Amino acid sequence: MDNILTIALSKGTLLKPTIALLQQAGLPCEGITEDSRSMIFTFPGDPQIKYIICRPTDVPAYVEHGAADLGIVGKDVIVEQGKDLFEMADLGFGYCRFVVAVPAHMKDLALQDLNYKRVATKFPSVAERFFRDNGLQVEIITLHGNIELAPLMGLSDMIVDIVSSGRTLRENNLVELVSIMDSTTRLVANRVSYRTKYQEVQPLIEKMQTIVKGGINQ
Amino acid sequence: MDNRQIPKGLRDLLPEEVKNRRKLEQKAMQIFTSYGYKEVMTPTFEFLEVVETGSGKHRERLFLFMDREGGILSLRPEMTVSIARLASMHLRDSSFPQRLFYSANVFRHVQPHLAQYREFWQTGIELLGASGPWADAEAISLAVKLLQELGLNDFKISINQIGIFNGLLANATISSDDKDEIRRLVEKKDLVELERRLEKLDMPDSWKETIARLPVLHGGLEVLNKIPYLEQHSITEQAVKDLLHVYEALEDYGVAEHIVIDMGVLRELDLDYYTGVIFEGYSPELGYGLLGGGRYDNLMGQFGFPCPATGFALGMDRLALVLARQEEEPGRYLLGGRNLRAMVVKAEQLRSEGKTVEMDVESNSLETLQDKLRGRRDLCLIYLDEQ
Repeated sequence: MDNILTIALSKGTLLKPTIALLQQAGLPCEGITEDSRSMIFTFPGDPQIKYIICRPTDVPAYVEHGAADLGIVGKDVIVEQGKDLFEMADLGFGYCRFVVAVPAHMKDLALQDLNYKRVATKFPSVAERFFRDNGLQVEIITLHGNIELAPLMGLSDMIVDIVSSGRTLRENNLVELVSIMDSTTRLVANRVSYRTKYQEVQPLIEKMQTIVKGGINQ
Repeated sequence: MDNRQIPKGLRDLLPEEVKNRRKLEQKAMQIFTSYGYKEVMTPTFEFLEVVETGSGKHRERLFLFMDREGGILSLRPEMTVSIARLASMHLRDSSFPQRLFYSANVFRHVQPHLAQYREFWQTGIELLGASGPWADAEAISLAVKLLQELGLNDFKISINQIGIFNGLLANATISSDDKDEIRRLVEKKDLVELERRLEKLDMPDSWKETIARLPVLHGGLEVLNKIPYLEQHSITEQAVKDLLHVYEALEDYGVAEHIVIDMGVLRELDLDYYTGVIFEGYSPELGYGLLGGGRYDNLMGQFGFPCPATGFALGMDRLALVLARQEEEPGRYLLGGRNLRAMVVKAEQLRSEGKTVEMDVESNSLETLQDKLRGRRDLCLIYLDEQ
């Protein structure tokens, strides 16, 4: 059988640091950009390396089903989807955190005051688990973007979203009430690929772990 | 159209699939029989108390319902517990070891996707009343033989000894919740979270280093020498020796080329009855495991009949999928054309070569037939263009 290693990469803000990491790990990645029409890049060699550039939220699916052997994707996406993946390394970059945010005038509320309130989010599983674990029941409204608009328009009382600097919250007059969890980018592997392609995969994983511990030079 | 739906995660099997399935089952039965295994059947549902024996409380994975006397019933999520119950009730007085096999549908409330259904078929064996590495090696080598004979070209069996992991935590004073969580993280190879959890636990750093190393220890016999600080854990040391003996027996069976030692194989947490050597089978054609099994020496004792045992189950739905993927040569032909006499001659010639040939009796044009067959790899078109 041909020796091919397929890696699914997240487009968007993670792509640049991801490519920097791949370069340091000695993998070929000349000419990979998301502006290119092509979403698949193949580099000859042994093993042959194939990259799939896809939406971050699609990376876990590619890896879980074995269409890609490895994937690079944020923990925020992994935790929301709960797919069956091996999480091999914390790559450190792409930091953000899940928060519960409310309109500024509600900033003094305690967590218990949120019982039976409406929450808008792109992350319904994370939101539901968080409130359930705290003994609260909330009504979850799933949206696909610009979550911060929901409380302004009266669609919800609060939001669960990821923030990095917190600027978007401030601009929309929202304040962070509780931090749910931190997220950084992870290297994930398919259950079976890790075992059937161990000779190719494991050295690569170890190389990335070493690079991350020494810090990435971007 | 409510009367045209079926419940989520279930499916119909059509003639071609059933034919393949039966062929695989019969082949498996032949192999099991030639090793002295005998078939048993158990009820499709059992009392919840039976199902939860040994496999612990994982009710969210079960299909539960009530009988009219108020008992809670569960569709069987797997066969090993039922067979352990059967043997401890009915086979006490027979001579051991007992060799039993089954082919049965089992039910789990999982998130359905390709190769994961809520009702699926397992074929497997249980070797009851035999301890020691030769018995483990029989089960594992039989698994290898089964996959080979069923036509799988490329596969690996990962083996481990659960005592290697359990021994590391045996002396640690941590809660069983923490223990379950650590086991889950090692099994899921969640190296990031594993490191964080271990940091919080109260145990010597050298133990943590050993546990953190387990998920990536994978390879041949040399792996057994790579466990750090092994001398600090007597149970683990013993388990490593046991695994070594099983591996040597597998070399004698001539199947070692298919075997990989993988310290991260711990089987699913909801199959909590394993006590010794455990194993899983994989094909590079499929992103999910194909078969799994191992030693469960304490399970039958919970039914009042202590008895060492080992066994495995093969997922027939996944196997069928892998075999379909590796099949390249289509076995069936659709024969079209304009000259019936020439078509009949050609069809008979192919049939005499053992091929299956369907005639196009609607005298369709080449284009229509090509449209009809688009995307079908099982049926190959032959068109005789002469008048």
